[in-house]
Amino acid sequence: MSDGNIEVRNGNMIEIKENIIEIKDLTKSFDGGNITALDGINLEIKEGEFVSIMGPSGSGKSTLLNMIGALDKADSGQIKVAGIDLMQSEDFSKFRLNKIGFVFQLHNLIPNLTVHENVQIPLIETDVTDEEMIERAAELLNSVNLGNRLDQLPTKLSGGERQRVAIARALVNHPSIILADEPTGALDSRMGDIILNLLREIHQKENVTLVLVTHEDYVANSADRVINMMDGKIVDSNIA
Amino acid sequence: MAIFGIAIGVAAVIGLGLLAEGLPSSTQSALTAGAADFSVIAKTSGTEGPNGQGGPVGSFGGQELINQTKIGEIQQISGVGSAVGVLRTMTNLDNTTSTTTNSSSPGEANFQSMTTLIGIDSNSISMNDIVITNGSVYSNGANEIIIGKSAAERSNKTIGDTISISNQTFKVVGIYETGNFQDDGGIVMSLDKLQNLTNNTGEVSLILVKASNGADSDELATAIQEQYPDELTTSSSLSGMDRMNQGLDVINTAVWAISLVAILVGGIIVVITMLKAVSERTREIGVLRAIGWTRQRIIKMIIGESILLSLIAIVVGLIVGIGIVEILGSTGMIPGLMPSFSVSLFVKGIGVALLLGIIGGIYPAYRASKLEPTEALRYE
Repeated sequence: MSDGNIEVRNGNMIEIKENIIEIKDLTKSFDGGNITALDGINLEIKEGEFVSIMGPSGSGKSTLLNMIGALDKADSGQIKVAGIDLMQSEDFSKFRLNKIGFVFQLHNLIPNLTVHENVQIPLIETDVTDEEMIERAAELLNSVNLGNRLDQLPTKLSGGERQRVAIARALVNHPSIILADEPTGALDSRMGDIILNLLREIHQKENVTLVLVTHEDYVANSADRVINMMDGKIVDSNIA
Repeated sequence: MAIFGIAIGVAAVIGLGLLAEGLPSSTQSALTAGAADFSVIAKTSGTEGPNGQGGPVGSFGGQELINQTKIGEIQQISGVGSAVGVLRTMTNLDNTTSTTTNSSSPGEANFQSMTTLIGIDSNSISMNDIVITNGSVYSNGANEIIIGKSAAERSNKTIGDTISISNQTFKVVGIYETGNFQDDGGIVMSLDKLQNLTNNTGEVSLILVKASNGADSDELATAIQEQYPDELTTSSSLSGMDRMNQGLDVINTAVWAISLVAILVGGIIVVITMLKAVSERTREIGVLRAIGWTRQRIIKMIIGESILLSLIAIVVGLIVGIGIVEILGSTGMIPGLMPSFSVSLFVKGIGVALLLGIIGGIYPAYRASKLEPTEALRYE
């Protein structure tokens, strides 16, 4: 029996969520087909799920993340994210702007803009007013405990602080999905824990789908589900 | 770095422009400073003009002389600023005796076989393009002469030496230059002295005329010809006007070529600078694309920055360009060249720089917009 998004199984009420990411037989190769990065990937991720993708270097995990974020295009197969077919030939800038928040390993902040300005960058392309941009960015920076560093340049911040700015930037457009590529990779373990906890907190509070690429077990195991990749294939997908 | 690169381009355009635009006016100024606008000669001239060669002192190569009273009459014509009589003749000085007081080789007078003798009032030598480079001008009526630079070198004469012409001894009191090779090989003395030497009292070969301020020299020349239809005609060739005009055409072409090179250099600098700036920001552009900026937005950003850089560079370039030209001018490194500060040059310079900013930004902006986000993010 099903009632909207609620299903009763064995007498328990279970919330059934829609797939926000649907991938079928996805392939991608580089260097004219000499390097196979993705070799028939099949994957479904539900809305609000926290999934980590693990695997050694060259296993294809970052390539898969780039496909989900429409930063790169697959050679064949199907990929649908937040209801958008990413195999269509078009510029997915608006999709990225409205649906995706990226957190990169090296934070990738603009060095000559202040922390506050860096967080506002994605909003420049939207209809949000200047006042709201300033307010929203300040609120987010407060929430990652950087409210007192608004006018600092990124170069004046520690690695962990920069990553927190990058997380604030990823959230500023209220994305449906946060894609984090090795967000703790360049940090020491203490700072890595802080960032990981921050991402988990945001995932729970904002009910945002979080897909995180890592090669560290303890980071991967903090997710709802861990996907292991090897040589461009998903070798297993386990509930953590 | 980008501003510096573009500023060099702008400074090159402005600096070269200032000098290049100043070239014609400087040259015109140098060619016409104090000089007559045209000369009046007798209409029944022979095949040789007033510079005609041949004959002893007093021979004018077939040139008919003009009665000196005409000078006063021409002076009265409306539009005439000044009119000065000049007697020109050629003489063979090889047979003349000379004595020297200061030269290292006394007694030797190695003049050209035919030397130009010019008689003109000492107060009006500039009308004949004569500039004293050493010593002073002669006194009217005195046995004093000034000698052309090349004549002085050839004859080994200098100030204080004496030269004998037609059994009269003249003291060299100055060295002059005109820029005319023939006149620089000659000797200049007061008009009355040369008239005396050549037995042509009250007569001149030509009358140099300078129009008054605001008067058109061509119209004035026509008016004089109309007033003396059977006696006098005019010629601008003596003051080099025709040659000057031809020279100015060449200079104008050179100015255009120099400006074009400066603009091309400036344009290339802008493009290289912006390409470098884009290259340095490849990763940044990748991030902007990743977080949702469209290609059009990236193009707008790069071209906008290019224009902003150009505006800043215009200010820097103007200061640098003008500064360098001013320094060159004040230290005497560009003698005789007057920079031309015209509004049109600055409008042209600023316009060109802005245009360079836009055009220079287009290709780098296009390249930036074509960057794939993943490729840009991998860029080290």
